[in-house]
Amino acid sequence: MKKKSYSILMGMVLTFSLLLAACSGGSNGGNNNTSPSPSNDTEAKTEETAKPEEPAKPTEITIMLPLNTAETPPDTIKNELEKLTNTKLTYQFFPADTYEEKLNASFATGSLPQVTYLKNQATFVQMKEAIREGQFWEIGPYLAEFPNLSKLKEEILNNTKVDGKLYSVYIGRPLARQGMIYRKDWADKLGLSAPTNVDELYAMMDKFTNGDPDGNGKPDTIGLADRNDLIYGAFKTVAAWFGAPNNWGERDGQLVPDFTTPEYAATMDFIKKIRDAKAMNVDFAATSKTDQVNMFTSGKAGVYIGSMQDVDSLVKDLVKNVPTAVVDTHSMVAGPDGKMASWSIPGYNNVALFPKSAIKDEAELKQILAFFDKLMTPEVANMMYWGIEGTHYTVVDGKAKASADKELTEREVKGFKDSVIGEPETNGMYEGLHELEARIHAEQLIVENEKIAIADPTAPLDSAAYTEKGTELQEIIKDATYKYMYGTIDKAGFDKAVEDWKKRGGAQIIEEYNAAYKN
Amino acid sequence: MVEDKTFGGRLFSIVNFTLLAVIALVTVLPFLHVVAGSFTTSAEMAMKKFILVPTIWSFDAYTFIFSTDTIFRAMAVSTGITLFGTLFSMFTTALMAYGLSRRDLDGRKAIMFLVVFTMLFSGGLIPTFLVVREMGLIDTYAALIIPSAISAFNLIILKNFFQNIPEGLEESAKIDGCNDFGILFRIVLPLSMPAIATISLFYAVTYWNTYLSAILYLDDSAKWPIQVLLRQIVVLASGLDYSSDLDAAVPPPDQTVKMAVIVVATLPILLVYPFLQKHFAKGAMLGSIKG
Amino acid sequence: MQESVIRQARVPQPRTSELKKRLWKNKWLYVMLLPGIFFFIVFKYIPMAGLSIAFQDYKPFKGIGGSDWVGFKHFERLFTEPDFLNILTNTLLLFGMNLLFYFPVPILLALMLNEVRSSFFKRTFQTLVYLPHFMSWVIIVSISFVMLTSDGGIVNELLAYFGFEKINFLLSPEWFRPTYIIQVIWREAGWGTIIYLAAIASVDPGLYEAARMDGAGRVRQVWHITLPAIRSVIIILLILKIGDVLELGFEHVYLLLNSMNRDVAEIIDTYVYTAGLRQGQFSYSTAIGFFKSFIGLVLVMAANRLAKKMGEEGVY
Repeated sequence: MKKKSYSILMGMVLTFSLLLAACSGGSNGGNNNTSPSPSNDTEAKTEETAKPEEPAKPTEITIMLPLNTAETPPDTIKNELEKLTNTKLTYQFFPADTYEEKLNASFATGSLPQVTYLKNQATFVQMKEAIREGQFWEIGPYLAEFPNLSKLKEEILNNTKVDGKLYSVYIGRPLARQGMIYRKDWADKLGLSAPTNVDELYAMMDKFTNGDPDGNGKPDTIGLADRNDLIYGAFKTVAAWFGAPNNWGERDGQLVPDFTTPEYAATMDFIKKIRDAKAMNVDFAATSKTDQVNMFTSGKAGVYIGSMQDVDSLVKDLVKNVPTAVVDTHSMVAGPDGKMASWSIPGYNNVALFPKSAIKDEAELKQILAFFDKLMTPEVANMMYWGIEGTHYTVVDGKAKASADKELTEREVKGFKDSVIGEPETNGMYEGLHELEARIHAEQLIVENEKIAIADPTAPLDSAAYTEKGTELQEIIKDATYKYMYGTIDKAGFDKAVEDWKKRGGAQIIEEYNAAYKN
Repeated sequence: MVEDKTFGGRLFSIVNFTLLAVIALVTVLPFLHVVAGSFTTSAEMAMKKFILVPTIWSFDAYTFIFSTDTIFRAMAVSTGITLFGTLFSMFTTALMAYGLSRRDLDGRKAIMFLVVFTMLFSGGLIPTFLVVREMGLIDTYAALIIPSAISAFNLIILKNFFQNIPEGLEESAKIDGCNDFGILFRIVLPLSMPAIATISLFYAVTYWNTYLSAILYLDDSAKWPIQVLLRQIVVLASGLDYSSDLDAAVPPPDQTVKMAVIVVATLPILLVYPFLQKHFAKGAMLGSIKG
Repeated sequence: MQESVIRQARVPQPRTSELKKRLWKNKWLYVMLLPGIFFFIVFKYIPMAGLSIAFQDYKPFKGIGGSDWVGFKHFERLFTEPDFLNILTNTLLLFGMNLLFYFPVPILLALMLNEVRSSFFKRTFQTLVYLPHFMSWVIIVSISFVMLTSDGGIVNELLAYFGFEKINFLLSPEWFRPTYIIQVIWREAGWGTIIYLAAIASVDPGLYEAARMDGAGRVRQVWHITLPAIRSVIIILLILKIGDVLELGFEHVYLLLNSMNRDVAEIIDTYVYTAGLRQGQFSYSTAIGFFKSFIGLVLVMAANRLAKKMGEEGVY
């Protein structure tokens, strides 16, 4: 009863917003004039004045997803999507920052909509228990019925399975886009080439600090700009170069956490050496991403280690401050043993789930999956990721070139970008056309990285102890890592922290992961 | 007020004045940085870090935030909620505070204790959400006002102010034939203008800052107040949300936009204070008692 | 005339026999309380049923009715946590500093401001110091970072310029608490004066005139007239502040917290966030919140009793 009145209310809101859209659109006749062949949008336009025929009633779908842009996008893209997929969509965006609160409140009160995007992998881990309890539809068995959904990559689907069953569709991400962004002009001036191994990397940091790369005669530059993040900051990428495993690795037939390996310790020593030499921002343990970026864009720091795709936004401001700056990307850095490696994410950054509380029966689920199947056609995927061709982007050499009106795209399209299912290889959407040399290089490197990518072997595994205490325990290691790099504890102190981690539940996590790994 | 002309008095004045001026300067500088930051480019912000006067002037941030009607709509929503919310809250709070301020009311201590208790223990988001939903308030503006109508803190403060009004006044009004409602509205409220102004201000600011209840109770983003937009931009632009590192597809808003939105979202509520200030003039209350 | 009315009102009345009569006499007062009582029951007391999940293994999909009861399991986990004592000490210390260094500042400011004769200056000052209250902690902390960092922050550059050693404000455990307190004072002190100014506004100006006639100086006037006039507000705020013992501003502390200062900066609120909320441990989070509220309750009751012993009205 309560749910009914709620959905009636939602229906009213929806109708109202459609009415509003109809007014502003001018020529749009109403809600049910969707063209009979919705796949062709030029036809849909010519038929706007035609009489409503109602061949198939549009499926009504409510979708809840995190908002990663400043404001909720207007209905421009949504309206196009409705036409393309013969649906009536309600997008409920909620700020990413407090998305978990909203998700938990909606979940606990049984008011999740038919399609529920989570926030990230961490929320997915939290949801696993509820998934096991049968709160969400298992979609694995239906996947084969949908030609486009069945294109989704097997290995990534495996990472999102719970007890071997599939409940979700994933939002794909390049596996390994970590690398370094550095000042090519500085390197050239100092006679350095892109570092091929970690020693050359250190030499570059050192030269950037002491070799007066900006030529102003003052010691006002540093090598590395890093931030308070051991994962997406420099640390983890450097650790991979040193040969450390990605979170967990197999040593002597056993899964062990990365921080128990000598490679991890070598990475700590490496960063410590850079910090001791003042070749990086010494306050990096308290530096936010904004401040880290500022160090690079103001021309103070010469190396940024993290996602190479950040290069666009870094260069944009840098060239305003230092018009002569030249930037390049690089990722092939060998460790002490001469091997190259790059850590990779499990191939997705988020998933969408289908709550049983909102989807009554199989028939409804299939309708919704049919919608997702359509989302994975090039036409729809492009609409969601790039926008309307001609307005938000143009196609050049088979790639999408974003329009000059960046603000328009940011407002109307970006909100939908993070909900595109799959990746270009599976949903057929255009790759982006980049103009910045360093970015083009970065995209090539991302492909190269995948060949040497180290995956996290625990991604498809479960550990009850990890779910309960993993985050809390990880803080112990994080603190010890920073303290070691800052020299407030020595290796013995660090080992003590690892022991502490084991004692407080880590040993159990090791045990559980190993048990799951062997099965 | 007679000016104190002794040497000690002058010295006191000078020291006092200087100290306050320094304090004012220290408080206002960071705010100036925010204002200056909103009028320049993000490149300059990266370069100078702390700006008081921009070298490169740019209105791009303002052009950006005012280029759609979102911010206007959000401001209108916030203004409405603040106005109606403050009125509603003041009405219910004043009634309750007055009732509780009367020392001859049986059970007032128990009620006060139960009120204080709610300041310490709260059931949390989800049970409150359920109550709000059962009352049919989801997706209505009332959901932002009714569930936060009375702040226990404000109630206690107002009750304390009411208590300080000499009881004799009330008694004499009673003899003149006023009932308790009459006493409250004709005597107590007019005598408590500094307190009413203070508590109204507290409520207005709370309503202006409405954030979480909007996210929880309003599914329709067209109804969101200004703080949602503000926080979203501030959080995104500050790079606080680590998970967003995976989403380089969506670069964060400019630092300058962050500053501009702070300025725009703060200005209206700042304007409230000067209007209330006259009620803080010394002796505002006693003057009326004598009159 | 007024005097006699007051005297009449204060005639002691027989108690129990007249209870009914008194209730009837005050009927309109009870009517006034109704909306408020309704509000507190519906929006505060009914949701308190949610506190019971502290004694359950709460699962959102099972609801409060369907989750298993586990007694004090979550409290045991909290009390046996190796860092528990440290976290509790940090919380109480930070609270103590808050009380000692922040609480008197708005009072002092209000008294100082009250002594300013120029009403233009007074108004301008008030409007300015009240500004920071509207800046979110995110902004304040990021501005402080820019000023305090040893990577070219203004403060450290100045220290270096004058030949002092640079201070690692952001990462050293010793500087966490001072930084926290200064930021709190900066943001809240001006805002905090409002309530005292309202109280001062209720003082009879005649009292000051009389004091001046007696030759009392400015400081004596403040001491003997202004301060006693706002004493009850101070006491009430103090008691409420003590009840807020563990509300130290989660977001603020969390933003200042880092791996290097965690030993002193981890407080109950930040611990709840990392150990509970971020991992979806609703029951554990609620249990910690319950413990925190309980301490608050004990302290408020103690403070209230103390206030009453000292002849004050107290909060309840």
